[in-house]
Amino acid sequence: MNKPTGSDIRVASPLKAWASRFALLLLVGAAFGLMLIGRTNSFIVEETRSAVTDMVTPILDAVSQPVDTFSGVIDKAEALTNLTSENEILREQNARLLQWQAVARRLEAENAALRTLNNMVPDPAMSYITARVVGDPGGAFVRTVLINAGDRNGIEKGQAAITGDGLAGRIAEVGKRSARVLLLTDINSRVPVVVGDARDRAVMAGDNTNAPELLYLGPTAKIQVGDRVTTSGHGGVFPPGLPIGVVAGVSEKGIRVRPFVDWAHMEVLRIVDYEMTGILDFEAQVGAARAAAAAGNNQ
Amino acid sequence: MRQEEGLWHRLDLVARSISPFFVTLLLVLGGLVPLRIADLSPIVPALALIGVFFWSVHRPDLMPIWAVFLIGLIQDLLTGSVIGPGIVGLLVAHALVVWQHRFFLAASFAVIWCAFMLVAAAALAVTWLLTCIAMTTYVDPAPLFFEYLVTMAFYPCLAWTFLRGQRLFQQR
Repeated sequence: MNKPTGSDIRVASPLKAWASRFALLLLVGAAFGLMLIGRTNSFIVEETRSAVTDMVTPILDAVSQPVDTFSGVIDKAEALTNLTSENEILREQNARLLQWQAVARRLEAENAALRTLNNMVPDPAMSYITARVVGDPGGAFVRTVLINAGDRNGIEKGQAAITGDGLAGRIAEVGKRSARVLLLTDINSRVPVVVGDARDRAVMAGDNTNAPELLYLGPTAKIQVGDRVTTSGHGGVFPPGLPIGVVAGVSEKGIRVRPFVDWAHMEVLRIVDYEMTGILDFEAQVGAARAAAAAGNNQ
Repeated sequence: MRQEEGLWHRLDLVARSISPFFVTLLLVLGGLVPLRIADLSPIVPALALIGVFFWSVHRPDLMPIWAVFLIGLIQDLLTGSVIGPGIVGLLVAHALVVWQHRFFLAASFAVIWCAFMLVAAAALAVTWLLTCIAMTTYVDPAPLFFEYLVTMAFYPCLAWTFLRGQRLFQQR
């Protein structure tokens, strides 16, 4: 019987409208505040992000497994249909690769001999951590994936993520049991690369499309479609020589690279633990250098 | 015995009142599952937008503005994009629906779907603009347009499922 009468509604609704308008303003303001915090203090945002990601990773891990199985079945069915033609191609490829193997063996031996002759500093050792891709946010603004390994598995920020085909991205955020991989195609991705046999240096920049762009090429560089693009190792973040892709198009607008990685079938990523202090550890290095200098002064 | 019934009744009420929020959170999580389909990743539908819009229209009492904010925040945290633009986009969608709630009271399913087209366009445009400003770069809006189309196509399926679920709840 206590239904509000017409006059009650007339009194209550302006008040309610004001309250809701105030709440809207407050929350939009809060969102803008968060945007500013994200710009100025990325540490807090990263910590919160990895905490939330850690919480949902077990769920995603469980859900993505049946999806993987299902897509595996579809892939198998697809493979069965073109078995004979694929077999032929593989036979040809195998013969060609065997020749290459002989060449590679010879070059490897020659390389080793020349290295010892020149007393060259050996590259730091590499070890791998394998993780499953459990999350792919998609959307128009980012190109990242979530993996089910984190801090406790030895994942660190800046490590390279590769598939069997080539470089896929680098670790951008690390939680306890999850990590976020910034893919090569993301608008924030910048990778120092060398292009072609001439080994022209460049920076490969993503722009959320499937074909990242090459920037900062020297004026003398002659780039052709089909040139191989590999990591240069500059900056010490990535090991040198990881395959990335081939130059897909050269035009007035820019040079585009087609990565080797098959984005749709990226189920497992190998994270390269490259034991070299890179630019991302710059602050730690400076700290260590200062400590060493101070110790030197004290003596 | 009586008391137990009261407890169950209360639990049932609580479950009903928080289900829109949790279902929308599940949609956010669902959008994260990798589907391994070529070229789909850039155009996954904006599922959270559908959830927020649907319950802002049908049960505004169960989708308060702070819940919208929280959903936006969790979505922005999980997708790895800049925090803020996604929240403002969802808030805009919610505010538009609340502003025109009288219109939605009598609207049919098809009319609500058409309204969703306008609301989603506004929400995604705001999100895009703010993302560009926050990243201080121009982000190509073409994939966003496809995302918009896919979201449009998804709306009737999800809305139908939600309406069914709601009716099931009411019958019991």
